[in-house]
Amino acid sequence: MNAARASLLALLVCWAFAACADVAVPPLSGRVVDQTGTLSSGDVASLTQTLKALEARKGSQVAVLIVPTTAPETIEQYSIRVAEAWKIGRKKIDDGALLVVAKDDRKLRIEVGYGLEGSLNDVTAKRIIDEVITPKFRSGDFAGGISAGVGRIIGVINGEKLPAPERRENSGLLRNIDPFNPFVIFAVFIVGAILRTALGRLIGSVATGGVVGVLAWLLVGSLGLSIIAAIIAFIFTLVGESIASANGGSGNWSGSSRGGSYSPSSGSSDSGGFSGGGGSFGGGGASGSW
Amino acid sequence: MRRLWTVLAALATLSLTNCGYNAIQTNDEQVKSSWSEVVNQYQRRADLVPNLVNSVKGFAQQEKDVLLGVTNARAKVGSIQATPEVLNDPGTFAKFQAAQGELTSALSKLLVVTENYPQLKSDALFRDLMAQLEGTENRITVARNRYIKSVQDYNVTIRSFPTNLTAIAFGYKEKPNFTVENEKEISTAPKVDFNPTPAAPAK
Repeated sequence: MNAARASLLALLVCWAFAACADVAVPPLSGRVVDQTGTLSSGDVASLTQTLKALEARKGSQVAVLIVPTTAPETIEQYSIRVAEAWKIGRKKIDDGALLVVAKDDRKLRIEVGYGLEGSLNDVTAKRIIDEVITPKFRSGDFAGGISAGVGRIIGVINGEKLPAPERRENSGLLRNIDPFNPFVIFAVFIVGAILRTALGRLIGSVATGGVVGVLAWLLVGSLGLSIIAAIIAFIFTLVGESIASANGGSGNWSGSSRGGSYSPSSGSSDSGGFSGGGGSFGGGGASGSW
Repeated sequence: MRRLWTVLAALATLSLTNCGYNAIQTNDEQVKSSWSEVVNQYQRRADLVPNLVNSVKGFAQQEKDVLLGVTNARAKVGSIQATPEVLNDPGTFAKFQAAQGELTSALSKLLVVTENYPQLKSDALFRDLMAQLEGTENRITVARNRYIKSVQDYNVTIRSFPTNLTAIAFGYKEKPNFTVENEKEISTAPKVDFNPTPAAPAK
């Protein structure tokens, strides 16, 4: 009992240390997160406008973070943590970039996503820091340094060929459906086959539809969509075997795909707020000090 | 009868996913890919070394020993094949790590030396190379951290119940992780020497 208590205590102590060890990653409240009050609201607004225009034009996401200090971590360790948490840039394209300024440490870093490492490479990032940003920082002009640096970053991104930003006009729910998620199709197919084998065609199909409907409801939270999914799964299971036997077994897969395959990944920056698109970072970029 | 077999096969597949076989596969693959990233970034550093040595040589020919040290360490790194099989052999893994650590310390010695050559430090090519080297060192750190995390996940999976039974049955062993290279150096307090250092060599 004592041993258990002691280990629990040790655990709590460890947690306490872990909790206060590092500077927390601030929530991504916008494209420009200023925790030091250095930038005026006008500066923040105009920077946000510039960055928003960049995303609309090229699809790339760029964010700015100003913190007082990153101690005890180095700015490199801190900024990769922020980049991993915010996930700026589009998924798989990884065209995000992050400008982190640690004001009291007099350090700054440009963290570059995988997809931009070719054009915004270490040398370019270092030059932007040394030649554009830090001279202005030295004279105390933080807003000017940041906007000039961001302007240069945008200039570099403009020269890079990137996939065009997606324009989706349809409604919010349909946007996130991933109709080619093979796991979901496969799972529905297996479950349908098992239930049909075990319970007979009609009851099995009803059961499959019910299972899919409940699962879709749990995952998506939309009753209407889950009912549609259930009906599709029901029909698919009901006619599945006859199609399978007629077509040699592979023609029936696409039919059910719209059923349960709803992935809750978030789109970005459509409703005024801002969120990262799922881009990943590998530590590329450059740091500097002033 | 055939239907029964179909159902049984489906159940067997499901039970395999429950006993952690798939989790082990996922973690194993994760470890391999993060290891590849580590090797990739080390390779990137090794590729930078010849250019770096050349650009330093132009300004600081006197520092033969240091330059030779870097070149030798670079050659040693190149001689070790870092395939994913390295992960299953702790001896080779340690050798790989030692070679990379040697290159790290040789490079840091070189950087200390370059401090004495203001002309070199203001050379554009050298500055670009330094930016690339810094970026690469940082990528190595990130890749190593991710490797450490993925090995941790893998090792936890194959050591915790009931997945350890699956791991034993299929012969999955723990993977080696990175250790601090200069454990002894860190544990001894640094010496502060106030004796005047030899004057910077004339250019």
